[in-house]
Amino acid sequence: MSQPPRNLEDIQQWLQAVITHPDGIAAGVESFDAQQQIDVSAADLESVIPRSQARTSIERLAVYGNAYFARLVECMRELFPALVHALGEELFDGFSLEYLQKYPSRSYTLEHLADHFIQFLQETRPDEAEASWPDFIIDLARFEWTIDDIFNGPGVEQERLLTVEQLQAIPPQRWPDARLVPVVCLRLLAFKYPVNDYYTEFRQGNEPALPEPAESFVALSRRDYIVRRYELTRPQFQLLTALVAGNSVGDAIGLCAEASDDLDSLAADLQDWFRLWAADGFFQRVELPE
Amino acid sequence: MALPRLGYENLGLGVGLRSVHFPYILQNNPAVDWFEIISENFMDSQGRPRWVLDQLAERYHIVMHGVSMSIGSTDPLNFEYFKKLKKLADAVDARWVSDHLCWTGVAGRNSHDLLPIPFNEQTLDHVVGRIRIVQDLLERPLVLENPSSYVTFADSTLSEWEFLTRMADEADCGLLLDVNNVYVSSVNHDFDPVEFIENVPYERVVQFHLAGHTNMGTYCIDTHDGHVIDPVWDLYRLAHKLTGGVSTLLEWDAKIPPFTEVHAEVLKARRHMTSQLHDVPIPLTAPGPPDASAMPHPLHLVVPEVQ
Repeated sequence: MSQPPRNLEDIQQWLQAVITHPDGIAAGVESFDAQQQIDVSAADLESVIPRSQARTSIERLAVYGNAYFARLVECMRELFPALVHALGEELFDGFSLEYLQKYPSRSYTLEHLADHFIQFLQETRPDEAEASWPDFIIDLARFEWTIDDIFNGPGVEQERLLTVEQLQAIPPQRWPDARLVPVVCLRLLAFKYPVNDYYTEFRQGNEPALPEPAESFVALSRRDYIVRRYELTRPQFQLLTALVAGNSVGDAIGLCAEASDDLDSLAADLQDWFRLWAADGFFQRVELPE
Repeated sequence: MALPRLGYENLGLGVGLRSVHFPYILQNNPAVDWFEIISENFMDSQGRPRWVLDQLAERYHIVMHGVSMSIGSTDPLNFEYFKKLKKLADAVDARWVSDHLCWTGVAGRNSHDLLPIPFNEQTLDHVVGRIRIVQDLLERPLVLENPSSYVTFADSTLSEWEFLTRMADEADCGLLLDVNNVYVSSVNHDFDPVEFIENVPYERVVQFHLAGHTNMGTYCIDTHDGHVIDPVWDLYRLAHKLTGGVSTLLEWDAKIPPFTEVHAEVLKARRHMTSQLHDVPIPLTAPGPPDASAMPHPLHLVVPEVQ
């Protein structure tokens, strides 16, 4: 070769710009980003990427170009299977393509591929004040992404959790000051749509239609390395949220009572709720002040 | 002079660990010689994938195979990545750590693809320097695989096997010879796969990869979605003879069949170790019907388990 080789960094910047261009290889070669690195036209591409006996330079590059979005969109489908059903593959793929252009992967692991997807959906949602299908889409995306997060995140499988018996052994006079420490994998989610019901229907192989708006509350956690879903009522969600925020049991109940219009019912339910949540492994331990 | 296989043992016939097979393997303890894991699927896992790996590491030899080291990239090395990689390697007593002679992205991006490098002196210096740093960080020799590729560069001045030979010697690293990738690239770049196999420094080959690919008529895509074809077995026999036998691993990443079928595929290697070499050159197989959905090197996600 008579000329010195091109700089490796220039070649890599150029190739990345070419194969990740959404309009294909020829458009990628002519793009500003590619031209800044290597000033070559699609017609002269062989001076950078020689043709093979059977394939032109553009055809050869297209293997990478076709694969770039196709492989990552496939991953997005696997991360959000219920959302794919809700939107239909074509629309979901369209959202994913736009997302991947705006927020390309910057991590060594695919686990972070959808880190900005909820943000992207919020940024691009139609501007409507009332709850409408974009809210359902965002709710469902948030639900599935939280499941992914819990599945591979920290858990408590190797640790002792607070038992129902330990909970019941707390002297009544010490209850108000007790703090219940939640397990690290517990997440509390509030939605404008019944996404957990929709998800259940989807997983059962049914063809759920887009639901009507209806507030819903869900706790997600993990036991035995499997993500578990728990439907909550609004008061349960409020109480758990207050506990997770670090409030004492007394303060948390107080906050919940302020928002409740049925104190008798709340008082009657509290004991069952705590027992149920301890049995479901929501709490790591109880902390009692000295 | 390097020890054969850098002193690494011949583990026998192994299978690439994929999450769809977790339940079967845990329940049946199949008589597999060893498992190769995709490093990135376990490095950050604090859930079931890591728990499964820990169980298997007590019963089987584990080798770690990465897809995001990006040893050829001009971006700075990601030291956090190597810290996690080493931690996992130590925890599961990985027999060795491998990745690909490629780059996956630049300017902070990751294409999650194994992108090719131009084979010339500049790239050689760059890659060798980085391998030395990585080997210091990991405190063990690195093993690098020849990836399948679909383009070549006008800026290349060396053949791929010349590059591999000089890289391995200068960096004192090992090679993972993917026999299927040699075949795929030979079709895509019009070279003789036998010449490639005969010219790699086989004393540095630590491991073989085998896999299926998709013949698109005028080129091949490394789809890992089927059985190993006869011309690749022919190359395997040659490579086995030249190396004297090294750890052999089957990859199956798309349209994944039951575990027993995947295992049976790699066990076919036994009869190829003892059979006679065919006359060279290796013939091209007749192409199957073009598969528009064929994708190179399928990505791996561990899908969450939820109730």
